[in-house]
Amino acid sequence: MQLFIGGACAGKCDAVSERFPAARWHRLEAGTRLPDWRETVVAEVPLVVTGWADWIEMALSDEPDDDRLREQLVAALEALVAVERERGTTVIVILPEMGRGIVPMAARLRRLRDLAGWLAQDVAELADAVEYVRHGLVKSLK
Amino acid sequence: MIVFVSGGARSGKSEVAERLARDCQRAHGGALYYLATAMASDVEMAARIARHRRDRGSEWCTREVPLALGEALDGIEPGSCVLLDCLTLWASRARFEAGYHSAAGLAQFEALLVAARTRPLDLVVVSNDLNEAALPQDAATRDYVAFLQRLHRTLAREAERVVEVVAGVAIDWKSPHA
Repeated sequence: MQLFIGGACAGKCDAVSERFPAARWHRLEAGTRLPDWRETVVAEVPLVVTGWADWIEMALSDEPDDDRLREQLVAALEALVAVERERGTTVIVILPEMGRGIVPMAARLRRLRDLAGWLAQDVAELADAVEYVRHGLVKSLK
Repeated sequence: MIVFVSGGARSGKSEVAERLARDCQRAHGGALYYLATAMASDVEMAARIARHRRDRGSEWCTREVPLALGEALDGIEPGSCVLLDCLTLWASRARFEAGYHSAAGLAQFEALLVAARTRPLDLVVVSNDLNEAALPQDAATRDYVAFLQRLHRTLAREAERVVEVVAGVAIDWKSPHA
């Protein structure tokens, strides 16, 4: 698994497209269950998964408990890692960095920011490579 | 040479940029220009500008940046070193005062970079990193950040040197010596 993380409009998608031109892209649909990756993954074709923040934002209303929401996300990541191993492919996770500003006034935005931060840590832990994208430039962190 | 220096609030980015501009000037001779984007809209802002001006010292020739950014280098002699501080403020004036569309603003900015290349002169651009926060979700803020990031990505692509400043320490993202 590889993580590409960076701020809003930092150039993450362009960086991933350049690195993985043949990849399939899967955008998580807000308001749906996290998918069963077994059906999504094509053997030996890199899979890019985006839309995590939008998915979390919708899930905040359904799941008031942050720990349980984080567990759901970790389960999805572990399923991705398993499928990656079984199907001989690479999964690329794109995440927004949103933790560097002042604490947001809106409780909802604070929860989103917390969950996005935890998710980034959880992905980075599982990932073989972590790339930080800043103003279109890419730095390898792991 | 074009240099891009950015960081958070009070990260020391202006000081790092001034040092880099002075290094350019020492290497090539020529005059030192400071293109200011800040306007004194209240007492706090006036004090902030006065502090910056005092810290810079007297060898700088200070000018205000026009909204038509592509004309900002008009009349500046070739071989000078020009420091623009900061792009974030110009971008917000361009959007909210002048009502530039994203494409028109980007065209002005690209004209500035072309002018720096053709003159030629050294240009150091300072800007704020704003896009790694949980951003307010109104459309105006999102459009502004998207516009600023278009400028930042263009600048990072065109610049020979890109520097991030954290606590006064310069971290190289792109360097002519690398």
